[in-house]
Amino acid sequence: MNREVRSEEDRRITSRLFILLPITFCAFVGGLIVWVAHLIRVSIRMRDVPNASIGISLVAIPVFLLMLGVFNYLYWGLLRNRR
Amino acid sequence: MRGLDEARDGHLLRPILGTGRGTVLAMSVLGAGVLFGALSYGKQLRDGLGVTGLNQPVSWGFYVTNFVFFIGISHAGTLISAILRLTKAEWRRPITRMAEVITVMVLFIGAGNILVDLGRPDRLLNVIRYGRYQSPLLWDATSISAYFTASTLYLYIPLIPDIAILRDTVSRRRWFYRLLALGWTGTPRQHKVLERSMGIMAILVIPIAISVHSVVSFVFSMTLQPMWHSTIFGPYFVVGAIFSGIAALIIAMAILRRAYRLEAYVKPIHFDYLSRLLLVMSLLWFYFTFAEYLTGFYGHEPEEMKVFWSKFTGSYAPFFWTMVVCNLAVPVGILSFRRLRTVAGCVVASCAVCAGMWLERFIIVAPTLANPRLGYAPQTYLPSWVEVGETVGCFSLFILLYLVFTKFFPIVSIWEIQEGRTQGVEETVERVRSYLPDTEPASVPIAAGMRALEPKEVPL
Repeated sequence: MNREVRSEEDRRITSRLFILLPITFCAFVGGLIVWVAHLIRVSIRMRDVPNASIGISLVAIPVFLLMLGVFNYLYWGLLRNRR
Repeated sequence: MRGLDEARDGHLLRPILGTGRGTVLAMSVLGAGVLFGALSYGKQLRDGLGVTGLNQPVSWGFYVTNFVFFIGISHAGTLISAILRLTKAEWRRPITRMAEVITVMVLFIGAGNILVDLGRPDRLLNVIRYGRYQSPLLWDATSISAYFTASTLYLYIPLIPDIAILRDTVSRRRWFYRLLALGWTGTPRQHKVLERSMGIMAILVIPIAISVHSVVSFVFSMTLQPMWHSTIFGPYFVVGAIFSGIAALIIAMAILRRAYRLEAYVKPIHFDYLSRLLLVMSLLWFYFTFAEYLTGFYGHEPEEMKVFWSKFTGSYAPFFWTMVVCNLAVPVGILSFRRLRTVAGCVVASCAVCAGMWLERFIIVAPTLANPRLGYAPQTYLPSWVEVGETVGCFSLFILLYLVFTKFFPIVSIWEIQEGRTQGVEETVERVRSYLPDTEPASVPIAAGMRALEPKEVPL
């Protein structure tokens, strides 16, 4: 009985936390992109050679987006194909 | 889903199911090391960087050496694992996870050393608010973030089927395993999704890993400091990183094999293959070192020569020559002979390489700053007990985190071992047959396939 209650509780915790996984990852990647965009904005405002920021962001942002894509593909792909 | 074969692989879950006296002892010793590091850092945080041996002109010392060393070690994992996975090297199966865990743990420690070196960590906020992408330090921050994200994903994805095994077998922390297993039941479609994700990450992680250590080298080579301003620093650092990474992996394999009785999984042949790779990297490292120093010596630029002689005959000579012995003489002396390429021999060579590569990083950082172009009197950098304490703390923390990981997840990939048993042999035979000319069609059974590979008598 005790074990069943525990298992039910476990299930409830897990289902709530499940949705946190993609949200956390999206927030992390989104935060990094916002930060890079902010540095570009600062460099333009300060007239401080924005080319460097733009150049690096052109490489960094797609890489992070690709990783986000892989994670989402994995997350939804595994959850959707359980049966 | 293919579950756990208790009789064959149940052994791999033993570290997760119970904690022995040895583990508790190891954790206590490592915890003491971490505490020593934390106390040292507390002292530095309270009294400032004045308690370290850092001053003008030598403003980078142990911390930056540790940073470069740890980031280098991180290449063990993902780069080696990704290359072995992409090339379908079957012998990779028991060792890839050991390598991938090293990567994630040391990246965390390596990046932490930069925070420690800041002296005032609160000023990190200024980097976030006013960072300038003209600075290679910020390139570092970006590439290390990308590498950390990629290697964590690359560690996690192949872990999912094993987490599902834990979810179904272990009674403790079930909610945790259920969460991380992402509903894995092992359907063909799930396998396809997993394989595809692993494939993309394996390809993505290689350029990211190379870019990380190239960018670490740019922190030095983009300056005009003597013996730093070099065009080969990027590849030189990458080669050194892979070199130290392989050595760290061999040490981790030997310790885990002994501690968790993994002799049936991590066999002498794994050490033999990796040690051959270590030998090649040793010679490659020597080639880059020789090219780097010869170019500096031939140019004979006065400021460069000050640094050069401080390494060859001056106050840094003991470190320099120890580095040469550890990185070249010991590995080449041991690993060139098949008789000495035993597990013990590989471990001795790897320990020497790790020590030598740490010294190599130190030899790059300190002598140049001690002999700058500006009109400072030459100085010798001497670390204080605070820096030694934090270094001890870093190494202890790395090993402790690694140990904790092995208490939560299997350190040998169970599902990949099972896959190797059921499909790997057949796939390998098929693959070898596809390389060779005039072999029988692919549809013949495996035993016949193996016979087809055997040399045949040619009639006269």
